Amino acid sequence: MTAPLLAIEDLVVSFPSNHAPLHAVDRVSFALKPGESLVIAGESGSGKSLLCRSILGVEPETAKVAGRLDWKGKSLLNLSVAQWRPLRGAEIAMIFQDPTAALNPLLTVGRQIMDVVRAHRKCSRNEARSRAIEVLGTAGLPEPEHRLTSYPSELSGGMRQRVAIALALSAGPELLIADEATTNLDVSIQAQIVTLLHDLRSKLGVALIFVTHDLDLAAEVGGELLVMYAGQPVEMGPVDTVLADPCHPYTRGLLRSAPTARSSRRTPLRPIPGQAPKLGAVGDGAPFRDRCPVLISGLCDRSRPGWTEAGPSHRVACHRFEQDGRDGLT
Amino acid sequence: MTDAPILEAIALDKVFRVRRKGAPHDIHALKNVETQLHPGETLGLVGESGSGKTTLARILIGIEEPTRGEVRFEGNAVRSAEGWRELRRQVQYVFQDPFTALCPTMRIGAALAEPLAIHGICPKPERKDRVAKMLGLVGLSADMAGRLPYQLSGGQRQRVNLARALMLEPRVLICDEIVSGLDVSVQAQVLALLVDLQGKLDLSLIFISHDLRVVRYLCDRVQVMLLGDTVEHGPTAEVFDDPQHEYTRKLLDAIPDRDHAARISKSALQYG
Ligand SMILES: Nc1ncnc2c1ncn2[C@@H]1O[C@H](COP(=O)(O)OP(=O)(O)OP(=O)(O)O)[C@@H](O)[C@H]1O
Ligand SMILES: Nc1ncnc2c1ncn2[C@@H]1O[C@H](COP(=O)(O)OP(=O)(O)O)[C@@H](O)[C@H]1O
Ligand code: SF4
Ligand SMILES: [Mg+2]
Ligand SMILES: [Mg+2]
Repeated sequence: MTAPLLAIEDLVVSFPSNHAPLHAVDRVSFALKPGESLVIAGESGSGKSLLCRSILGVEPETAKVAGRLDWKGKSLLNLSVAQWRPLRGAEIAMIFQDPTAALNPLLTVGRQIMDVVRAHRKCSRNEARSRAIEVLGTAGLPEPEHRLTSYPSELSGGMRQRVAIALALSAGPELLIADEATTNLDVSIQAQIVTLLHDLRSKLGVALIFVTHDLDLAAEVGGELLVMYAGQPVEMGPVDTVLADPCHPYTRGLLRSAPTARSSRRTPLRPIPGQAPKLGAVGDGAPFRDRCPVLISGLCDRSRPGWTEAGPSHRVACHRFEQDGRDGLT
Repeated sequence: MTDAPILEAIALDKVFRVRRKGAPHDIHALKNVETQLHPGETLGLVGESGSGKTTLARILIGIEEPTRGEVRFEGNAVRSAEGWRELRRQVQYVFQDPFTALCPTMRIGAALAEPLAIHGICPKPERKDRVAKMLGLVGLSADMAGRLPYQLSGGQRQRVNLARALMLEPRVLICDEIVSGLDVSVQAQVLALLVDLQGKLDLSLIFISHDLRVVRYLCDRVQVMLLGDTVEHGPTAEVFDDPQHEYTRKLLDAIPDRDHAARISKSALQYG
C-alpha cells in the first residue's frame, strides 16, 4: 500500500472570540495518496476555503489551526518560512477562485511563470522558457509561445484562469488544490479544465483537492466526496456512491435544490428552507438542526452525531440515519 | 405563440472601436442579431463569455446604442428620448453582479424608493408603503428597509435587486447572470421567486446565464449566441433535445451531469 501524501486528522480551524473560540473548520479528517482526488462540497461559509488555506499554511493571521496535518509523514503545522519554501507553490500548489488575485498585472505571463520555475529549480532562462510554454500548453491555453509576452489584462477571464492553473503547475506539484477554480467560467471551459485535472492525476500522479458547491461538477471530477456543513464533515464516500445514495439530510437537500442536466421544465425545486448558521452558532448540537426535516428533538439539539457506516467507505454523521437508516430520510 | 412580440431587436449590429497598440481596431460584438420576446414568456440567452449577451441586453434598454438596427417595443420602433424613457420604465435590467449593483451607503428602503422618485410616479407619503409591499413580495421582512447592503447575504441582496427592478411594475425583466454566484440552495430560492413573480405580475423575462441547467429549467425558448451571431433558437425542449448546430451540441455536452459522469466512471472501472 502506498503511504498517503497528505494525512489530516481532526483538523480544527478556529477564531478567538470574547467567549469560546469560534470553530470555522471542526474536526475534519481525510487522507490522500498520489493520483487520488477529494472533492469538498458545501455552501458558502462552510469552511472549505479555510480548510484549503490551512493545508498551505496561508490561513488568516487570527486563525488557529489544530489537529494533525501531515505531508509525507511530517507535520505542516508551525513550519518556518524557510521550511515552507520547498513546499508551498512547489510540492503543494493552489488555484484560487479569482485568477486576478494570483496574477501580477504588471508582469507578462511568461515572466511570472519563469520566475516560479526558477525559484524552485536551478535552470537556465531558456529552460525556464520552454517549461513555461509547456505548462501553458498543458493548461489548455491556445498558442502558448505567443502568449508569453501578454499581460493578464489582455486575456479573457477564461484564459486568465488557465494562466493561473499553469502557474500552479509550473513547479510540478504533487498536490493541487483548486478552490472554486472553475465557478465563474463557461461550461465548455469548465469541462476542458476538468479533463485537464483528470490527465494530471492519471498521467503525472498528481493528487487533487477540488472545492465546489456544484454537485454535478463534483461527479465529473470524481474521487471521494466530502460534504461540509457549518465547518463540520457530514457525509463522505466515493462521489458516485454519495450522489446515487445520499444519506445525510443536508446532502439530499442540496441535490433537490439544483436543476440537473435532465430536470424537466419547472419541476418544482425544493430549496432548503432558512439559512446556514453564523460562525460559532452551532454549539453542541447537530449543525443542520435548524433546517432539518427529520430532526429528532431532544437529541439533535443536544449532541453532535458521530459517523455511521452507510456502506463500504460511505459514512454519514446524522442521528436520524444512525437510528432509522434510510427509512428515516425524506 | 400567436401574440405579437412585446420587445424586439431588429437586425442589430454593434461595433466597438478600441485602440490596440495605438491603431484603431474594431470588435464586432453583435452581427445582425434578431430577438423577439413574447408577452408572458421566458427567453433564455446563452453562449460563451464574450458572445454578446450583455451587449444585446444593454441595447435593448437603450444604455448602449446599436451601430445598425433598431429596438421595437409593442411593435413600435423606439427612437426619441421620450420613447426610451417610457421603455426604461417598462423594461427593467437586473445586473450581473449582486455585490456592486447596490449603492453601499444607501439604505435598502431608499434604494427601492429611488426609481419611484426618478420617474415621479408615486406621491412621497405612499412610497414607504410600496417599498414594504415589494419587500414582502420578494420574501423579505419590512424591517430590511433600514439595512445597508453589506448587512445582507448574497441571496437577500439578489432579492433586493429584483425588488428594485419591480418597483415600477415593468412588463419586461432582463436578468443578466443573476444566480451565477449563488449557492445552489439560495439559487433555488431566487429561481422559485422568479417563477412566482412572473405568474403574479404577468412579466416577460429575458434570462441570461451560462448555467444551461438553469436555463433549461426556467426558459420557454432559448437563443444560442456565438461571437455576436445567433447560431440557433427555438423552444427550449427542442433545442436541448435535438440541437441542430455544432456549437450548441458542444455547449450541451459540456453541462456537468451527475448521471453521465457516473456512467463514464463505471465504464472506466470495467475496461480500465
Ligand atoms: N465597452 C466596450 N468596449 C469594447 N469592447 C466591448 C465593450 N463592451 C463589450 N465589448 C466586447 O463585446 C463583446 C461582447 O461582450 P458582452 O459583454 O456582450 O459579452 P457576454 O456575452 O455578456 O459575456 P459574459 O458571459 O462574459 O458576460 C466582447 O468581445 C467584449 O469584449
Ligand atoms: N479572516 C477571518 N476572520 C474571521 N472569520 C473568518 C475569516 N475567514 C473566514 N472566516 C469565517 O469562517 C467561515 C468559513 O469560511 P470559508 O472557509 O471562507 O468558507 P467557504 O470557503 O466554505 O465559503 C465563515 O463563517 C467565514 O465568515
Ligand atoms: S436528523 Fe439530526 S443529526 Fe441528522 S441531519 Fe437532522 S438535525 Fe442533523
Ligand atoms: Mg470559499
Ligand atoms: Mg455578460
